[in-house]
Amino acid sequence: MAKITLNGQPMEVPDGANVLEAALSNGVPLEHFCYQRYLPVAGNCRTCMVEMDTPRGPVLAIGCNTKVADGMVIRTDAPNAKKAQKTALEMLLLDHPLDCPVCDKAGECKLQDQYMQYGLYDFRRGVPRDFKGGKAEDIGEHIVLDTERCVLCTRCIRFVDEVPKTSELAIVNRGHDSKITIFPGMRLDNPYSGNTTDICPVGALTLKEFRFQQRVWFLKKTESVCPGCARGCDITVEHNKGRIWRFMPRENPELNKTWMCDEGRFSFIDQQENRQEAIRLGHGTDDLKGALKKLADILGGLQKDEVAGIASPYAALEDNFLLKKLFEKRFDVKNLAAPTWAKKGEADQVLRLAEKYPNEQGVKLLGIGEGDASFWEKLEKGVFKAVIVMHQDPFGQDPVRAKEYFSKVKALVVLTVHQTQTSREAAMVFPVRAFYEKDGTFVNATSRLQRFRLALEPEDPNVVEASLWISRLAKALGVEGMDFPDTPSVFNAMAKEVGPLSGLTFNSLSSMGKVLDLKPIAPEPFVGVKAQPNVLGKALGVTNG
Amino acid sequence: MGDFQPQLTKRFGMKDSHKLKTYLESGGYESLKKLFAMTPEQVTEEVKASGLKGRGGAGFSAGMKWGFVPKGGAKPVYLVVNADEGEPGTFTDRFMMLHDPHLLVEGIICASYAIGCHTAYIYVRGEFLEQIKRLEAAIAEAKEAGYLGKAIQGSNFDLEIWVHRGAGAYICGEETGLIESLEGKKGQPRIKPPFPAIVGAFGCPTIVNNVKTLASVPWILANGAKAYAALGTPESQGTHVFGISGHVNQTGMWELPFGMPMMDFIRDYGKGVKGGALKAVIPGGSSCPVLTAKECEDLTLTYESMKSHGTMFGTGCVTVMNEHTDMAKVLKNLTHFYRDESCGQCTPCREGSAWEDRLLKKVLSGEGSEKELELMLETCDNMEGKTICVFSSALAFPVRSFIKKFRPDFEKYFVKGAVSVPGAVS
Repeated sequence: MAKITLNGQPMEVPDGANVLEAALSNGVPLEHFCYQRYLPVAGNCRTCMVEMDTPRGPVLAIGCNTKVADGMVIRTDAPNAKKAQKTALEMLLLDHPLDCPVCDKAGECKLQDQYMQYGLYDFRRGVPRDFKGGKAEDIGEHIVLDTERCVLCTRCIRFVDEVPKTSELAIVNRGHDSKITIFPGMRLDNPYSGNTTDICPVGALTLKEFRFQQRVWFLKKTESVCPGCARGCDITVEHNKGRIWRFMPRENPELNKTWMCDEGRFSFIDQQENRQEAIRLGHGTDDLKGALKKLADILGGLQKDEVAGIASPYAALEDNFLLKKLFEKRFDVKNLAAPTWAKKGEADQVLRLAEKYPNEQGVKLLGIGEGDASFWEKLEKGVFKAVIVMHQDPFGQDPVRAKEYFSKVKALVVLTVHQTQTSREAAMVFPVRAFYEKDGTFVNATSRLQRFRLALEPEDPNVVEASLWISRLAKALGVEGMDFPDTPSVFNAMAKEVGPLSGLTFNSLSSMGKVLDLKPIAPEPFVGVKAQPNVLGKALGVTNG
Repeated sequence: MGDFQPQLTKRFGMKDSHKLKTYLESGGYESLKKLFAMTPEQVTEEVKASGLKGRGGAGFSAGMKWGFVPKGGAKPVYLVVNADEGEPGTFTDRFMMLHDPHLLVEGIICASYAIGCHTAYIYVRGEFLEQIKRLEAAIAEAKEAGYLGKAIQGSNFDLEIWVHRGAGAYICGEETGLIESLEGKKGQPRIKPPFPAIVGAFGCPTIVNNVKTLASVPWILANGAKAYAALGTPESQGTHVFGISGHVNQTGMWELPFGMPMMDFIRDYGKGVKGGALKAVIPGGSSCPVLTAKECEDLTLTYESMKSHGTMFGTGCVTVMNEHTDMAKVLKNLTHFYRDESCGQCTPCREGSAWEDRLLKKVLSGEGSEKELELMLETCDNMEGKTICVFSSALAFPVRSFIKKFRPDFEKYFVKGAVSVPGAVS
């Protein structure tokens, strides 16, 4: 730890931290554009100017490239520093088009926000504006470039150079004629392209999927976890008027930093489409209570070992836990399996993993296997009269095998978020809530237990979480001790039974999650990616700034 | 000035002065005998003791700079010659390389030996086509004769020199911008620390020296630091190649010891001011604050005198302007240059350089007022020292000094329709 004096206040800051982070993490505001804590320092915006005492007297220095040292005396509020901060901002705004009313970044724009906070409020350009030109240039599958809004901070360039290492972007020309552009013949189509729009401090880079869709100040933000693969990047679900408008990466210094892949980012579209809307039981639809009673009657009429269950790496820990509990208490837990039919997807050494489901480790943690030979034999031979399939799509992922396995099952009961091949084949279908419609937890490939929160409440009261559906079925079947009012209470009960979770409660989990004592099934992310050492170890909230 | 032997220009005017034969006949490569008899540390100490300053403009002690290279590191050390002479008003290095390329090569050998460098680069301004040919020919000759390559002159010291052609950017004269360009990147100065002596070209310790700095070293080794320091003044040791251009009857360059009064230099070497009385002098390239005729009266051609007059020695190439010069138009020429040459990295410089140029354009078009001049002055304050390199200061110095010292030249434009003074720079 280095003992420094910041604006007259003595404080201790971890060695290796820079002055800008020292200020921000201690609640001292300091303007900045080009600095992004997970990218190399560029030091070009010249806005994080601080005054620092040296043997030669006080000097101005940029906070981002000045490492703290014992005895350092820094003032962010010295008149000199203030003036440098204000006038650098003035120059950034000099030839900016000020088209905020039609700019998607308005409301989360660093130029806008910081001008309001630190600006000069004395407009004095004195000469006509000199636009850099360039409007709405299509530079990638998802990305649009508005050159005239650009402040040339080079964050996007440093990102494509350092993280996906695809280097599509560069600055051409010199001085005031400088502009960001894409290399001839290239497109900004790398698997992480969306991140450039998050870190763009202004509206120069925007997402086609978000342009002109929503004003950001109307968006409500909910902490969540991307269910797209076993990495489980931390995200924010941003929604308004009952719809999700975007997924944004949420800072986790230990996991995804401030990044996420495009596959995960744009999954918000598919997540909301093709939903299973109504309960389907035989020939008609029903309300949940009536439907569960009918199902309980059917299951109640079967022998204990005539019922099987398919648990799922797509489902939350709580859902899998209660399904297992139901089988333990009412049926035979040997007849519960969590196979994965899904084909491996694309993977890389940055974030993406081939396992395109979020909770494989969670299923392992609960001790649910993939089903032994006798399980599949019994399934194929029709020994199981009823099978409950939760969050799985065997008919979609492996239709030939699925037909062999399930053709003799009389009652195929499917709990599903979306309409799938399997839900079309099933005798009974229950819509359940998507991950953004409930609270829950996943355990990712590097054994990090993470919590996601309810963002949107479905309109239909018959659509409940899979875990609560199981809880109610248990009640209808007369099973005791499985009555839970909500997900947190399921989690808390689970934590008492499952060793690695002991001592945890749902509400005390940190937003960065907790690494469990469990063997990881994938390497750590960002192999070979240069990044600054994260000495503060906590989120700073600088995704966009 | 008393008698002195020219060190840097003695072969100027000799027949085939650029050839090895002429060079050897006139005492060339003599210093190497002494060089290899000394340890690298002794060479550095000798140069330090001579008081030799970097001739590129900043005037930092050359020996001290060499001393910053970490001793015994695992990485190779590079010497890079800054031959990107681009400061407006400056024109001496190009003649040094044209007429006496071997002197530079000899200087490179001495400096490389001192810092432990085995690969040196000459980063030469792209437009200097003839110089590039001569440098390459000189290197080839020197290699052939065993002054470069393996085990130079029977020592155990190896050295290769490569000539690298710049692509025409003023900012590549800034040492870290030069290094970026040498590495094949866009010429943009690097953020410091780390300094080039620790992390320079290709991530290795690197010393960047100007042409004349290196060309001075062989004489220092041959004749000793004491003899060198005896020339010039106690604070500006040695000799320098001074140039003069602008409104003088004779333009050109002469090697002189430091210390000549400016007015004598203009009178004796420039043969007096042409077309009228002296109005202003830019003492060492366009980045130096301009001086009025009055300020030149007691000015000498030394680092210390320039400093005490609020300007800089710079490159030692003097630009003279007579009484009919329109200083506002001169400044417009400069702001236009700096607007074009800013690398565009740092906000205050990128935006400020263009802003200064636009404001001055407004003034010159007769639409300006006191307000524009004040804004220009303030923008100088907001640029100077606020950026990665000193380019913004190099623009702020002339803008501030021109406006402060020659305000009437600007004020006359406040009234719409004013015409320029006859004979003005346009």
